[in-house]
Amino acid sequence: MTFSNQFQRSRRQLIALAGSGLASTLFPPTLLAQGNAMSFMSFSFAEEPNKPFVEKLLADFKASRGIGVEPIGSAWGEVQKNILLRQRSKTLPQAAQLQDRWLPAMAQLPEIVDLDALIGRAEIESALDPAVLGMARVAGKTLGVPIITGSVGMLANREVLAKAGVAKVPVTLDEFRAALIAVRDKVPNSVPFAMATKNPGSVPLDTLILVWAFGGRIIDDSGKVLVNSAEGRATLDFMAGLMKDRLIAPEIDRPDARRLFGQGAAAFYIDAPAARTFARSFSGRGEAADAFVLPIPSPVLKAGDRARSVEWGHVVSLFSSQPLAKDSPSAQWVRYLLSDPVQGSLPLQLGGLPATRSARAMPAVQGDAFLKAWAGAVGSTMKHEIGIWSNAPELSAILTEETQAAVLGQKSGAAAAASMQTRMDASMAKRT
Amino acid sequence: MQSQSATSTMPGFAVSPLAERGGLKARERRVGWLFLVPALVAFVLVIALPFVRALALAFTRNDLQTPVPRFVGLDNFVALARMPEIAQSFAVTAAYVVLVTAFTLLLGLAWALILNQPFRGQTLLRAASLIPWVLPSTVTAFIWGWIFNSRYGVLNAALVEMGVIPLPTAWLSTSFGAMVAIVMTKVWFSIPLFMSFFLAGLQSLDREQMDAARVDGAGNWALLRDHILPHLRPVLLVVVVLGVIGNLQHFDTIYALTGGGPVRATAVLSIEVYRRAFDQWDIGMASALGLLWVTTIMPAAYFYLRHLLKGV
Repeated sequence: MTFSNQFQRSRRQLIALAGSGLASTLFPPTLLAQGNAMSFMSFSFAEEPNKPFVEKLLADFKASRGIGVEPIGSAWGEVQKNILLRQRSKTLPQAAQLQDRWLPAMAQLPEIVDLDALIGRAEIESALDPAVLGMARVAGKTLGVPIITGSVGMLANREVLAKAGVAKVPVTLDEFRAALIAVRDKVPNSVPFAMATKNPGSVPLDTLILVWAFGGRIIDDSGKVLVNSAEGRATLDFMAGLMKDRLIAPEIDRPDARRLFGQGAAAFYIDAPAARTFARSFSGRGEAADAFVLPIPSPVLKAGDRARSVEWGHVVSLFSSQPLAKDSPSAQWVRYLLSDPVQGSLPLQLGGLPATRSARAMPAVQGDAFLKAWAGAVGSTMKHEIGIWSNAPELSAILTEETQAAVLGQKSGAAAAASMQTRMDASMAKRT
Repeated sequence: MQSQSATSTMPGFAVSPLAERGGLKARERRVGWLFLVPALVAFVLVIALPFVRALALAFTRNDLQTPVPRFVGLDNFVALARMPEIAQSFAVTAAYVVLVTAFTLLLGLAWALILNQPFRGQTLLRAASLIPWVLPSTVTAFIWGWIFNSRYGVLNAALVEMGVIPLPTAWLSTSFGAMVAIVMTKVWFSIPLFMSFFLAGLQSLDREQMDAARVDGAGNWALLRDHILPHLRPVLLVVVVLGVIGNLQHFDTIYALTGGGPVRATAVLSIEVYRRAFDQWDIGMASALGLLWVTTIMPAAYFYLRHLLKGV
């Protein structure tokens, strides 16, 4: 072999090597193996207590359908960001677990798949109640399948209340305040009500429940901002009073609240039924923790008023820039998530109610004492008044900033409500 | 070219047919450009194009409701000018940059003067002083977050134990406390860098001149004012300009410690741009604000570059 041949051969090898390197960079294994595999972004996968359940789900799917699913863990608060960034770089996962209230914002993405066309409206409606399906419907399209449902409401820690000598679950806001004072005085180093005070992802939920308790609204169904009302101002003053009396604390986000509650350092907090799973994990007591996790109706202004909770659920949405085949891995994944084996176990493991009619009728679901207590405590379940708008991220930021300003004493309740109204009005006007 | 044609007409001088067109200088220039090409391509792809794109986006509406950018002229800038929170962000940024640069300068210089003295363990202390600078910024933010935490922070524990405060205080939840925390954090990990600059400058200080000043009766303050500071003047200039640029750009520890809060007390421009772009998905507005932010960095960058080029 001559030097020239040798050189040509090594040059060819070099080019081949560079080519394969470039190909593996441009087309990661996920994309190259698209035929029998798919990717799934999940926030439950990123939560330590829930990770094993998602892993089992993926393993079972592979065993039954022969389709591998690559999980992409993303913290709950980062999912929207990751999806939108991936959309810009054209690296969207094929499926993603989303909070139901994010869907109106996600609906703007051209890649989100309308499942009415892929799975068929009739098949979806046969599996899900209209109220459940409503969580995943935006502008007449089904943009995901609900996999776990419930509501966001109030929880009490039985053991902390007992330590504080609170024998009766508070019903009115006055009783609630009295219970908080008892906890503050009798349980050292506690945060009586671990209300979210820090993050735009959590503050709006807690504020909403309290605004409703005072009989007010933040934004009505037509998109009119109503927060600068007597009820809105009273809510902000009430929250500021709680902070002033050390009944709530600054720097609390939902994960902090879950830890405080699980470790017996908070008497009340607001969360979804998944609270039970977190309490089991953070208390270190496993199922024994169920004894102290008590779902209660959120406090009301006067006895006889109906308690309110916020509609809540997880949905799985699909993304594709090309039309999907009806037997594509993504379509099979959606059908699998709605199947009885999945719906009969996964929602309970994650701490919520199943989405499908058939799973809800299962003895395991019907006989779950915690879920039964939850259902009895939720009162009226209302739509998230901020999350349903496509400018929800901006509205949440405004609500959080102005609520913080009132709670931390930087503004009076009236000033914060007025400022919130002006800024939200501007945001809603820009939307149209 | 001119010289070549001139020489070619001179009797006894003939240009070789193998000579480079344009002469050796031109060849050097061409080779120079060739060497420049990879860096130029990288610059265009990684810096120039994204910058121009961001520049263009600043004049568009591009948010969740308008995924395809729509030209809106100067609307974003007009809207920003009308937002009181943006004016507040500029004020917060100015306060942050001034405080951090001033404290880092003073403490960095003081530490350099100490480490310039001969004492046992000097080398070890010099090396240990670099630790805050070497730590990843997220780790730094967590350390300071832990110090200032309202429930289990070491600062509260110490102050309550000493009887200075009766109850733990939520330092990061007051405007003043949050600003102090982000300033202290940045000063803490910037001191080693400033100190290194000053220490390098001090190494070239003429010892004999200092000794002579001492003999003439100069005290410490006189030495600092009349000898050390004039000697360090070029270093001071570079350090101040670099500090201002770095502090104007700073983001990570502020975001990790306070996220720009409470309310907007620590929302410097970098945080504001991030929030607009990645929390509210208003890319058009974020780009417009980014452009304004860049204009605040330009004067400092100009002085720095001018100083550098003068040196060349």
